[in-house]
Amino acid sequence: MAEFGSGALIIAFMLALYGIAASILGARRHVPELVTSAIRATWGVTLLVVMAVIALATAFLTHDFRLAYVAGRSSRDMPTHYVLAAFYGGQEGSLLYWVMIVGLLGSLALYTQRRSDRALIPYVTATILSVMALLLVILTFVASPFELLPVTPLDGAGLNPLLRDPGMMVHPPLLLAGYASFTVPFAFGMAALITGRLGADWLRAIRRWTLVAWGVLGCGLLAGAWWAYHVLGWGGYWGWDPVENVALLPWLTSTAFLHSVIVQERRGMLKVWNLALLLASFILAVFGTFVVRSGLLSSVHAFAVSEVGPWFLFYLAAVTIVGIGLLLYRLPALQSDRVIESVSSRESGFLLNNLIFAALTFATFWGTVFPLFSELFWSTKLTVGPPFYNQVNGPLLLGLLLLMGIGPVLAWRRTDLRLLLRNVRWPLLAGLVTGCGLLFWLREPLAAVAFAAVAFTTLVTLLEYLRATRARRRSSGESYLNAVIQLLRRNNRRYGGYLVHFAVLIIAVGVIASNFFQVERQFLLKPGESAAIGPYTITYEGLEDRRTADAEVVAARVAIYRAGKLRETVESYRFFYRNYEDQPTARMGIATVGLDDVYVVLDRWEDDGTASLRVYINPLVIWIWVGAAVYILGTLTLFWPQPALARQHVDRPVRGVIPSEA
Amino acid sequence: MSGTAVAQPMERSRRRWFDLRLLAAALAIASAVGYLMYTGLQSGAASYFVTVSELEQRAGAVEGKRIRVGGDVVAGSIEVGGPGEPIRFEITDGASRLGVVYEGVLPDIFAEGRHVIVEGTYRAGQPLTADTLLTQCPSRFESASGR
Repeated sequence: MAEFGSGALIIAFMLALYGIAASILGARRHVPELVTSAIRATWGVTLLVVMAVIALATAFLTHDFRLAYVAGRSSRDMPTHYVLAAFYGGQEGSLLYWVMIVGLLGSLALYTQRRSDRALIPYVTATILSVMALLLVILTFVASPFELLPVTPLDGAGLNPLLRDPGMMVHPPLLLAGYASFTVPFAFGMAALITGRLGADWLRAIRRWTLVAWGVLGCGLLAGAWWAYHVLGWGGYWGWDPVENVALLPWLTSTAFLHSVIVQERRGMLKVWNLALLLASFILAVFGTFVVRSGLLSSVHAFAVSEVGPWFLFYLAAVTIVGIGLLLYRLPALQSDRVIESVSSRESGFLLNNLIFAALTFATFWGTVFPLFSELFWSTKLTVGPPFYNQVNGPLLLGLLLLMGIGPVLAWRRTDLRLLLRNVRWPLLAGLVTGCGLLFWLREPLAAVAFAAVAFTTLVTLLEYLRATRARRRSSGESYLNAVIQLLRRNNRRYGGYLVHFAVLIIAVGVIASNFFQVERQFLLKPGESAAIGPYTITYEGLEDRRTADAEVVAARVAIYRAGKLRETVESYRFFYRNYEDQPTARMGIATVGLDDVYVVLDRWEDDGTASLRVYINPLVIWIWVGAAVYILGTLTLFWPQPALARQHVDRPVRGVIPSEA
Repeated sequence: MSGTAVAQPMERSRRRWFDLRLLAAALAIASAVGYLMYTGLQSGAASYFVTVSELEQRAGAVEGKRIRVGGDVVAGSIEVGGPGEPIRFEITDGASRLGVVYEGVLPDIFAEGRHVIVEGTYRAGQPLTADTLLTQCPSRFESASGR
């Protein structure tokens, strides 16, 4: 298996080199056959990578401990799903997974775009293959997952306990796939820059593929938040940790891109800016992959420091220089077709949105790499924590929330201010009433302002749906439900986008509430004793020892009462995994009682059963997970093929069967 | 494209490289962010990241300031105590040692020899009272056995 896998990777690497040469040569010398062979080479490379993936997965499933990678991460007593998850539990496997995603999505993109602009395709192919080639070099010569051990151990070491969690099944694959899928829009962007074909044709493909990367990365981030909340035991879901930040960065830039690309489609503006965002998203995605592996920044996600760092750094530098160079070279061709006429226009709304996203990206990036810069310039290493991000990003996020409410009611080119005021007067009133009411009730001005913004924006968005639904009902007599479904189907970009806005608003409610109103207490309790926290009374019922296939478990039972009534019983655990006995791994007991999460962490205990428990009351955190579900729904809606568009594709005469000479 | 069509007359006459209003908006946001970042760094949101040896050399400069210290947990120095009591231990960078008191939940990966990062306010001559204890298995994804 090992020989098969590493052989497949070497052949894949050589095939990738051939493909790069063939596609560039084919484009320069106008030999369409060469380009076609390069596209097929991409499929071949992908097939070989998939074969290597299957080889490694087989090695895991058959417990082939000759492989160092398998022996270091799995063991015989681990449940099968964790054995499979151990595939991406290390650097080599996760990079292999990365290449596979690039290959699969790249091949799919080349297949679906086979009818479109032939001039772009060779360079798209070359870019995708060059990314794959770099990773294949690393996988072959620097960090091979197929390295053999001199002595085959009887059993493997097993996966690190922190990773033995359902979160492991979703978060890493989604996040890595999100990173990897930025390669495709990047490849289209590079191809457009190289060929100088900067028209609107490539925009649709780029937007769609950016949407893929953005949606998958977003889901990966949310899954990561969920995992952290359930496993890390500090009562939160987002800690502004460097590794979290670098994953957020490409999401921020791609969100900005998805907004500003609308301006380019509709008004022919912001071309340079859009390409820059595209390049930045890819560079930040590679940066994210790299930072995790480099040991450059200290983080709770302290992964193995490895030799792949310099390779990534070299690649990052190369892409940045080439990208900026090309952008400058094509600057004359990228002038705006129009100018912004009025400040109160939708295009300036989008622009403001982009400025805020850029500011968020910059602040987050700066905070993350600040230790490096401060060491370089002042020879003191300064690090910043959550307070910094809360202070800087908090107001920016509030601004975005408000803008999200104003944006939809702005018209292109110029907005009649009287009309604008009429459109937002009820939401504005609702926001003010909410704000004042909450200020009176909660006595927390910042939270009241934030909730008021949420209320305002939610109402504006709801009214947008209501207006459009009414219009449909008037013209076609559909039922309300049917009208909404038709809206989402026929204008999915707009109303699917608003669905994502709703997701963000729902998540915002959870984030604001849990940020401002979290309660935290530490208790030392004997079995049977009770303690009060917030409106709740918790009763510690005692400890229990258990045994699972791969671990010994200590479980603490806690009953939660509110107003004298038993609401929920939770268990909080410490797992002692075989091979990792010195690393008792906590599993929180979390009960959602009404709108609050009661979050119980088992800290330490004595033989008589006395235990110290840390208990958090996290209000409205459940909203974040509900918002995550809406986010997925909205993303899927954005993807749904538009009926009108689909027909257009069929009607259009089939172009490009004969490759146009470029 | 779906949606309403927009009349799109060419307005080339007014084209300029930089729109002043945009520039003003960008500048306003940039300066606001700059201000927030600057004050954020001044107001104790930042902490000095030092090794144990560096801490000794610069004790005067960081007195009363927030520091973040990385080091390995000294073998035999851990006093976990009973439930509810703080954890006491020492960290070292090979040359110097620093005592640490941590009152929080015992982290998952905490053992002798492990690399940890502690954060708290520095007072010379006292053990560091840490409010944050980050555990860093030198290679979190690698196995712990056989090391």
